[in-house]
Amino acid sequence: MSPSAHLDLLAALGYAVFEQSTDGSFHSLGDAPEWLPAGSLMEAFPFLEVFLPDAEAFWADPARDHSTLPSDFWTQTDARGNNLHFCAIAVAGEQKLLLIERTRLRFEQTQAFVQYAHQTKLAHDEIARLGRELQRATEAKSEFLARMSHEIRTPMNALLGVAELLSETPLNAEQGEYVRIFRRAGDNLLNVINDILDFSKIEAGQVELEYIAFDLADVVQEAIEIIGVRARAKGLCLNSDIRPEVPPRLMGDPGRLRQILLNLLSNAVKFTDRGGITVRVKPDADQPAPCTLHFTVRDTGVGIPFDRVSTIFDSFTQADASTTRKYGGTGLGLAISKRFVELMGGRIWAESTPGDGSTIHFTARFSVAETTTALEARAPKATAPAALANRALRILLADDSEDNRFLVRGYLRDTGCVIDEVTNGAEVVEKFKGGAYDMVLMDAEMPVMDGYSATRAMRALESERTGPPTPILALTAHALKEARDRSIEAGCTDHLTKPITKTALLEAVHRYAPEHPNAGRIHVAVESWLKPVIPAYLEKRRGDVAKLRFALDQGDYATIRTLGHQMAGSGAGYGFAEITEIGGTLEESALAGDAARIRDGVDALDRYLNNIVTE
Amino acid sequence: MLKKKICMVGQFGVGKTSLVRRFVDSIFDERYLTTIGVKIDRKDVSVDGKSLTLMLWDLAGEDDLAQLNVSHLRGASGYILVADGCRASTLEKAAELQQRITQTLGPIPFVLVVNKADLRDQWEVQSSQVAQYGWPTFETSAKAGSGVEEMFLGLAAILIRSHAASEAPGQ
Repeated sequence: MSPSAHLDLLAALGYAVFEQSTDGSFHSLGDAPEWLPAGSLMEAFPFLEVFLPDAEAFWADPARDHSTLPSDFWTQTDARGNNLHFCAIAVAGEQKLLLIERTRLRFEQTQAFVQYAHQTKLAHDEIARLGRELQRATEAKSEFLARMSHEIRTPMNALLGVAELLSETPLNAEQGEYVRIFRRAGDNLLNVINDILDFSKIEAGQVELEYIAFDLADVVQEAIEIIGVRARAKGLCLNSDIRPEVPPRLMGDPGRLRQILLNLLSNAVKFTDRGGITVRVKPDADQPAPCTLHFTVRDTGVGIPFDRVSTIFDSFTQADASTTRKYGGTGLGLAISKRFVELMGGRIWAESTPGDGSTIHFTARFSVAETTTALEARAPKATAPAALANRALRILLADDSEDNRFLVRGYLRDTGCVIDEVTNGAEVVEKFKGGAYDMVLMDAEMPVMDGYSATRAMRALESERTGPPTPILALTAHALKEARDRSIEAGCTDHLTKPITKTALLEAVHRYAPEHPNAGRIHVAVESWLKPVIPAYLEKRRGDVAKLRFALDQGDYATIRTLGHQMAGSGAGYGFAEITEIGGTLEESALAGDAARIRDGVDALDRYLNNIVTE
Repeated sequence: MLKKKICMVGQFGVGKTSLVRRFVDSIFDERYLTTIGVKIDRKDVSVDGKSLTLMLWDLAGEDDLAQLNVSHLRGASGYILVADGCRASTLEKAAELQQRITQTLGPIPFVLVVNKADLRDQWEVQSSQVAQYGWPTFETSAKAGSGVEEMFLGLAAILIRSHAASEAPGQ
């Protein structure tokens, strides 16, 4: 093909063709297309100022012979305001050729492709932004709920607690009834708050089920016992029937299962005026999964209208708007139960004939637990709630609310515990430095220093001492899981939530009370130069206790006299006047052959050695 | 007449093309059409009594699919870094581009533009984030037109002063 034929072909394809002269300037080859702007090449196409340096380098490279270098697209506006799209191609060969192409189709195809990718990216960005907004809103809601919960629980703690203390005082029948109403209304209000918190936790995805071993019959029985009081008050009978095929020991979340049963039973009692309520548990025949159980709660109450059966598990819904007024309630109980059931891998539904009662069904998936014996052998020994009398614990109570301190004092009044009170975190740390406490009850939010910081400071102090850590029980109105995590992370032993009942506080204090309370400890100041030898001295005396008991059993009064003599001579010298005194008594008693007095002396020495704290 | 090349750079979708369109044609188009390659416009302006032709190079936005071709900034007298106030990531991208351009071309005048001031209530970009860079900054709305002319003329003024300084005797 001749050069002119080449040019004709390029012109036919819509290219403007330029050749670079030896002086670096460009001249047009062939006929110029009608779209070519007037003026010099550089004036016509400003984009070339960035492409030509690349083209020059390309042409200068001998290896590029007979190849091409395309430019990016560029767009410029013509005199009439139309957008025109171009690209340039440098061609390497004997001539340095520059082709300019006015391109529309290729540009638009590329633009459509990139546009699609960009719009997808923009959509993803928007989804991410909405997600961030949602997260912020959820966090704000959680923060608000936590704050609201705290602000309500703090005075509720005082209200319910004082009502409990009041109920323990002598009251006439009328006063007693007032207090019962007061407590019942308070409990109801607390249930409403707990429902709202539960629901918000479920919505925020903050609920994690436990997976522990439990007795199914115990859970069912506990729920029946709790609701039984109200059922009996209405003259209703309440029964349970667990089929023998159901494994007695299961793995799962007994607390949430109990909560579901309590919700369903509570509703059943609320909407039933005569007859009774029955809880049944059997294996779920529709599920091949082992240990999926089918629970039913059947009542003989007012029933649910046909058109409402499917909506009663929706949030804030009751079967009929009028029932809200007649029966009360937030309408959250069944919604919460539904979410818990779903978390347990089951489903919940209702069957009802208006006027003839309702049956609520739910299924839940569990695993079979090991036998009771095997589990109990491994489980930590449960401590039954017991009276704290005679334990004489020394407790440091930190709470800025006078009402709440009054309440704790009231709850612990008959236990013999000695309570020191402070009103902020800085004071609690100061007191803790100077005193030996068996336990600390710590509010979270206090002025000057909060309970978390105070706990961390106290744990730091303990790390410089010997001996077991002091139980620090957070006692706060913060009820969300994060608050509990925060307490434990700060170093608290446990997290108790206000409002707290007397029983719950006493159980917790009992559970964490040390074996040898500090209140019975004997503090002895010893000379600093003697401190290094004191532990060995006391250890030797502890060994003497065993020798003395053995000698007493053998009637070996000579040994007792010798040991007593040694103690009488050394005790006061080390700073332990009590040991000198006991030693003297033992020596005398041995001489007199008084076994009873020797036994008393050895017991006194044993107690003294167990309770001694050197400073 | 003095002619200055100004480049618009930033992440895709921040409004570079719309800012140029608003400045050159006083138009805002709701449709989003992504820029492919480079779009070149010109605008004659007068700043401090001096006439000036601005050659506005609107460079395709950078994203995961395409990187800014820094060679397109060759010969630029200044550039405009554009961020979208509604997307904090675009400010980070602007800062990253500024570093890259400076490494390649050395220090040349530029301004930072936070666009979409008409959507102020949806902004993720905080004033403190912008202030930390200490750059000359404009808030604009290509849609409403606010701040656009001030921004272009502001940069033009910087370029004229810079040009005058370089032309001054002894420079």
